[in-house]
Amino acid sequence: MPATSSSFRDGRGFDRMLVWITLTFLIVFSAFPLAYNILMSFQSVDLFTLASFDRPFVGLDNYKEVLTNSATDIIVKNTIVFVLLSVAAQLVIGFGLALFFQQRFPGATWLRGLFLAGWILPGLVVGAVWSWILAGDFGVLNWVLQTLGLTDDKIFWLSDPTNSLYSVIIANVWIGVPFNMILLSVGLSAIPDDVYEAAELDGAGRVWRFLTITLPLMRAQLGAVISLGIIFTLQQFDLFAALTQGGPSNGSNVMQYWSWELSFQDYRIGQGSAVSVLMIIVVIGVAAIYVRSTRHEHAA
Amino acid sequence: MLRDERLSQYALLIVALALVAAYLFPVYWMYVTALKTGNEITAWPPTFWPANPDFAAAEVWQRMQMATYLKNSAIIAVGVTVIVVVLGTGCGYALARVRSRWMDVVLFSILMMQVLPSSLMITPIFVAFSQVGLLDYPRSAVILAQAAKVLPFYVVLTRATFVQVPKELEEAALVDGNTRIGAFLSINVPLARNGILVAALLIFLQSLGEYVYSRSLIQNRALQPATVGLQSFMGPNTSDWQGVMTYAAIYVTPIILFFVLLQRQIVSGLTSGALK
Repeated sequence: MPATSSSFRDGRGFDRMLVWITLTFLIVFSAFPLAYNILMSFQSVDLFTLASFDRPFVGLDNYKEVLTNSATDIIVKNTIVFVLLSVAAQLVIGFGLALFFQQRFPGATWLRGLFLAGWILPGLVVGAVWSWILAGDFGVLNWVLQTLGLTDDKIFWLSDPTNSLYSVIIANVWIGVPFNMILLSVGLSAIPDDVYEAAELDGAGRVWRFLTITLPLMRAQLGAVISLGIIFTLQQFDLFAALTQGGPSNGSNVMQYWSWELSFQDYRIGQGSAVSVLMIIVVIGVAAIYVRSTRHEHAA
Repeated sequence: MLRDERLSQYALLIVALALVAAYLFPVYWMYVTALKTGNEITAWPPTFWPANPDFAAAEVWQRMQMATYLKNSAIIAVGVTVIVVVLGTGCGYALARVRSRWMDVVLFSILMMQVLPSSLMITPIFVAFSQVGLLDYPRSAVILAQAAKVLPFYVVLTRATFVQVPKELEEAALVDGNTRIGAFLSINVPLARNGILVAALLIFLQSLGEYVYSRSLIQNRALQPATVGLQSFMGPNTSDWQGVMTYAAIYVTPIILFFVLLQRQIVSGLTSGALK
């Protein structure tokens, strides 16, 4: 015992103890629920068996029911559309803004930082504000679109099932743009000016310089921003709760919202777990690829 | 030549201001709507400046019981921040100092736990918490769940800060007879103070806007935080937009002020955590 206590005071034991304090908490409140989730996805869990520690096992029934549900097709499709469009739009707009604010003018850095205000606000508040902007009858977006002559009739963004997913995407892109822009700006500042100057002397135009210098040198940054974008987009829940609740008729439902709905509104908790397990595999997969690729960058 | 450059700089500045204004329009719209009365809210075309500004803050504060909701949000955010700072700071330090295979494994698992979405973790957390009776203390339940959600992020941020603290100062203190914990608390923590504060602030702000766990674990209205309260005032047929936007404005104005004051630190903290 004296040996261990002196190891805490003077040796490696101290570092190990510090790490274990965090790990213990995470094992209890993160890793254990994760394992429990997998277990529940093979059990029949509803309000009656909720409190029981001895629930009947049902094999793959939860997964079968979830995958053959009539809503599954549209929800999977929505999830893919939601992620692809959100990430693509955030990236394009964020990259454009990053390039613009890379130019030298008074206040550039400070003004760029102001964009992060959109990222720091609670998702639910952002959802509330957008649900008013997107409102069909009196929403300001419809007025802007009509004034610009882009549409004649008012668009019912939230209550029309063909539009509702896009209204969540719009709000999600708004939240994601600043993060993309700031991370890409960091990458842009790391590219030395003389690379561009040399290319300019060789007669390379703006577009050519962007394609042959900026894009290749930004590969690592773009990879990071895309993976983080996918991860953040799959975490998005608040906007669905504030804007559409996944409706109308699952028109804007996605997997992460559906999992919650199954557990907390339909009380089919085993099925909620099954959807959750499937999506966690996707999220962890993306994150693992991202972390491994940044590792290689550092090692190189 | 020089004049041309100045001119083009001002042109860029004007474009930049327009971009910022366009992006932040939703925030502006929230404040403007909060100042409009019922008739003006449904005016078509909409007015971009309230004709008769109407401050409903006091009335909304009373009617929507904002004192209770904001108090609960503050309790949750403070609780999460305290747990995360106490449990996570040392881990960030150890991960910055010790390089070994086993620390790599720890860092990798922490990064994986950082990405677990709350909306997917809430199902097992709800069932487990209800089985052990934690749901009788719903705010504490939310604090524990949210702390587990944001602790990895905090560890990653503080690790990036501790990497920048030179090792030599700590080694000198150890030679002078300090214990490891003494050197950690009297040398490393003070030197990493700014990074720790920014990381803690980000955790605090994130927890102030927490929604999924609170919505699912807290049934009693008197214990719910401001996000859940706001959601309950926004039925599918809301017409009280002045009320909702006033509520939102009261809720986020302190967050926006915090942000404007500490913008530079927040930006640098964020970028260091995400890329290293």
